[in-house]
Amino acid sequence: MDEPKSDTAYFAVSVIGKDRPGIVAGAAEVLYRLGCNIEDSSCTMLAGEFAMILIVTHEKPFSKAHLVEEFVAYSKGMELSVFVRGLKRDEVEYHSPQGELCVITVYGADRPGIVYRVTRELADRSINITDLNTKLIGTSAAPVYILVIEAELTEGTSSEDVERLLHTIKEELAVEITVRIVTPVAL
Amino acid sequence: MADLVDTMRAAPGSVGVAAPQVGVTLRVCVVDVSQHRLGKEQNHGLLVMINPVLLSGAGAAIMREGCMSVPDYTGDVQRYTEIEVAYLDENGEKRMLCTAGFEAVAVQHEMDHLDGVLFLDRIVSLKTGLFRRKNYK
Repeated sequence: MDEPKSDTAYFAVSVIGKDRPGIVAGAAEVLYRLGCNIEDSSCTMLAGEFAMILIVTHEKPFSKAHLVEEFVAYSKGMELSVFVRGLKRDEVEYHSPQGELCVITVYGADRPGIVYRVTRELADRSINITDLNTKLIGTSAAPVYILVIEAELTEGTSSEDVERLLHTIKEELAVEITVRIVTPVAL
Repeated sequence: MADLVDTMRAAPGSVGVAAPQVGVTLRVCVVDVSQHRLGKEQNHGLLVMINPVLLSGAGAAIMREGCMSVPDYTGDVQRYTEIEVAYLDENGEKRMLCTAGFEAVAVQHEMDHLDGVLFLDRIVSLKTGLFRRKNYK
């Protein structure tokens, strides 16, 4: 995304509802008809729901009320939850990760606190999470929890440092934790 | 060819450039991974390749790739870990290259440019390559 422009209105939009074909097409149609641009987006299935998160823009003047109105009309009858929030300029600025990127994989018998304990440890070290997915697999008798985090390491932190950092949690929660560097290669 | 090498050297962290990336529609690319942390151990220095042809490939590994032709976007791409390539060098001499590891990835990436293929065309997963369930119960 380019630098935020002062003559542009920025919004965060989320759309969540029971998964079925046409959710994206419907939301995209609303935006297209309004003349909005989709600047950034991430949409995925979560269990039986489909969740869309979008950053959209429109040239000023453009009211949030207008955007909400159109989305409410679209979501009516489709049982979709729509949320719209206006963004300030400093919220829109994107800073690409500067440090090494790593993927932290955590898995083990399901129990409370896996996400909390791991992410708290990272947050306390100012390690910024750039992506996070969880999934519950296995059987109801033996559920296995999987947590995959992509995080930006702080200057001078190695994947071994992170593994050491999470060692206590690994022992306490009886989970497997691996850390590997996935910093993109420029070709 | 000198232009390609200059372009590669001028771009921080770049380990290869193909002619189509600089607006020249010739099947020429250059690769040099010798200065990269992943290629220091195993490389053939500066490779200038004219009409490279992939003769064989083996193994598979996923690496997150970025490209100066697609700035600010990266994706996980699966490539051969070992390759055999026939090409002509800068003097028009027939050459064979057997390589592996990061250099093999870089050569495959640059050769793709010669066919108009970007790493975007080969992205294997948007998310982490975890098995996803088809049915939710």
